[in-house]
Amino acid sequence: MLRRGFLVSLILIGVLALGLVPGTPAGPVEVVKIAFLGPLTGPNAPQGLGARNAFDLAIRQANASGRFPYRIEGLVLDDASDPATGRAAALKAVSDPAVVAATGHWNSPVAFATIEVFHEYRTPIIIWGAIHPDITRRGYPEVTRVAPTAEQETAVGARWVVRDLRLRRWSVVHDTTAYGTFTRDAFVGTARGFGAEILSVDGINVGDRDFSAVLTRIRSLNPEGLFFGGVVTEGALLRAQMVRLRIPAAFFSISGIFDDKFIEVATAAAAEGTLAIKPGVPLERIPTGRRFIEEYRRAGYREPYGAYGPYAYDATGIILDALRQVGPDRAKLVDAIRNIRYRGILGEITFDREGQTRLVAVTRYVVQDGKWTVWEDSEYAKGKRKIR
Amino acid sequence: MIVEQTLNALLLGAMYALVAVGFTLFFGVLDLVNFAHGEMAMLAAFTALSLFGLALGRTTDVPTGSLWALSAVAILAVGGIGVLTERVALRRLRAAPALLMLLATVGVSIVFREAVRLLYPAGSNPQVFPSLFPKGTVHLGPFGVPYDTLAILGVGWLLIVAADRFINRTRIGAMIRAVAQDREAALMMGIDLDRTIATTFFLGSSLGAVAGILNGAFYGIVRFDMGLLLAIKGFSAAVVGGLGSFYGALVGSLVLAAVETLTVAALPGGSQLRDVTSFLVVIGFLVFRPNGILGERSVEKV
Repeated sequence: MLRRGFLVSLILIGVLALGLVPGTPAGPVEVVKIAFLGPLTGPNAPQGLGARNAFDLAIRQANASGRFPYRIEGLVLDDASDPATGRAAALKAVSDPAVVAATGHWNSPVAFATIEVFHEYRTPIIIWGAIHPDITRRGYPEVTRVAPTAEQETAVGARWVVRDLRLRRWSVVHDTTAYGTFTRDAFVGTARGFGAEILSVDGINVGDRDFSAVLTRIRSLNPEGLFFGGVVTEGALLRAQMVRLRIPAAFFSISGIFDDKFIEVATAAAAEGTLAIKPGVPLERIPTGRRFIEEYRRAGYREPYGAYGPYAYDATGIILDALRQVGPDRAKLVDAIRNIRYRGILGEITFDREGQTRLVAVTRYVVQDGKWTVWEDSEYAKGKRKIR
Repeated sequence: MIVEQTLNALLLGAMYALVAVGFTLFFGVLDLVNFAHGEMAMLAAFTALSLFGLALGRTTDVPTGSLWALSAVAILAVGGIGVLTERVALRRLRAAPALLMLLATVGVSIVFREAVRLLYPAGSNPQVFPSLFPKGTVHLGPFGVPYDTLAILGVGWLLIVAADRFINRTRIGAMIRAVAQDREAALMMGIDLDRTIATTFFLGSSLGAVAGILNGAFYGIVRFDMGLLLAIKGFSAAVVGGLGSFYGALVGSLVLAAVETLTVAALPGGSQLRDVTSFLVVIGFLVFRPNGILGERSVEKV
């Protein structure tokens, strides 16, 4: 009995030892993997595929540069915009000992599910596209984000319309989703900080189409500007009905409404003069952006890089930069990424205490003659037209 | 502001009433709550959009006259779809327990909704609907009222009055009322039941179709699930007013619209509570006065 137990353990030990040999860093490391997580199937696939290509491009360039003494491989995993699928993908990534870091996610619910995994396995993850503010507020040193949140974006926008455009009296309408309430709080807080007076705050439900009652009340307050925290459809209906009720206020909103559908639904006449802000800078306007466009084109990807491709490219670049500093070690990478100073496409990226990027590059837009026009190029900025 | 909020309420009331009248007609004639009724509004909007696209090649910047003509075609077509629905899905269930017919209408509604979502190009997304009325504003003293508000108020309430006249003054209307009052007695008087019911479905469905098109024209946007929302509000209005009563549907619609507008205008944070207060009113009526304001019939069948 004792003999048999001894034999079994001996065999077990032998098997374990055999199994462990390739995993232990006996010789020099040959392959280091970086994981990518994002929606590659389903309705958000265009976002995920563009980011995946940008991720792939960064890794290809790193391998071609000859600056790494090992080969870098991308481990591409589909989160399908689904938290459960994302969690399984995250587990797959962290259980591969060659994976040293990850970048991921366009959908915030998925990011919430996977950051727990990355935190538990002490593996750094840089979020490239999920913008819920709380993702970086769990106090996890492993989690950082290169995309600006809706809060950061709104705060920059509030500074623009209140301080620069000198609109002081505001009414606020927001939808009752998390996106709407976060942007409402960010706008109200920042606008007050710049001396604005908030006359009213109203929540509306996504799917509502009739805003005449709330707008009639807002008109009696005579605001100089109306801020909308929400997305395209409600924003367009609100703008159209605001013009129909002849409320002579400026209309300002965030990237949630930045879409040609907004102008189509509101009609070009009613949308005229609508102000919006959008994270990112038109890439063709900056040298680093032009280089990215050119290299992406040369790599010959089928899908366009999309709105978040540049962020995924920079997130991967940060991981590679940290990798060169401290080598393929998850724990060291966590600190190296947190303290990085990285020259990305849109500017220099550093992370704040929460792990959120300090770089909030935005572009300001105004609707002019039925088109979203960069503010600086518009007749409004030149004083030829008035927004109210 | 009070005058304008009253106008807002009247406008909302007209939209609800056009749908509610259909609910009340079907309930009166067939003792049926027709859950597919809201889809008639949605179908009308999408039929009109398809017609604009097919006949004019585009859905924006087209002359108002042709939009009106094509909208009329769409309304008649949807009236026909209503008749067809009754013929195909409901007639054979007429003798069956009322619950079966009710379930059949739920099924029909799902079929229509999903068919539009799947078959219309990008059907899940909101579609832009052209305005049927000229832009501009009428000035009435200190108040400016946009043309389209006036036009929709006018068209809506005119049609409701016309429907009232039709039901109460014409021979066919008398047949509808007779069937609603007592089906057996009506049969004994030689009224053609099938034809009367078909007429009712044509009338109710085309009124719902008008609601759908006015809705699209006013808000500038239609969606595959708009029928569901309209149906819930229209049905609630009919219940508040008293299912089966024509005037009840009108009164109920006005009450619901007034409650919603008042909630938004007077309560702080009211705009997110409008559905809460309006359905509280509905629940209140169901508990304390299940027959509605003007209703005399029981609603136990729902």
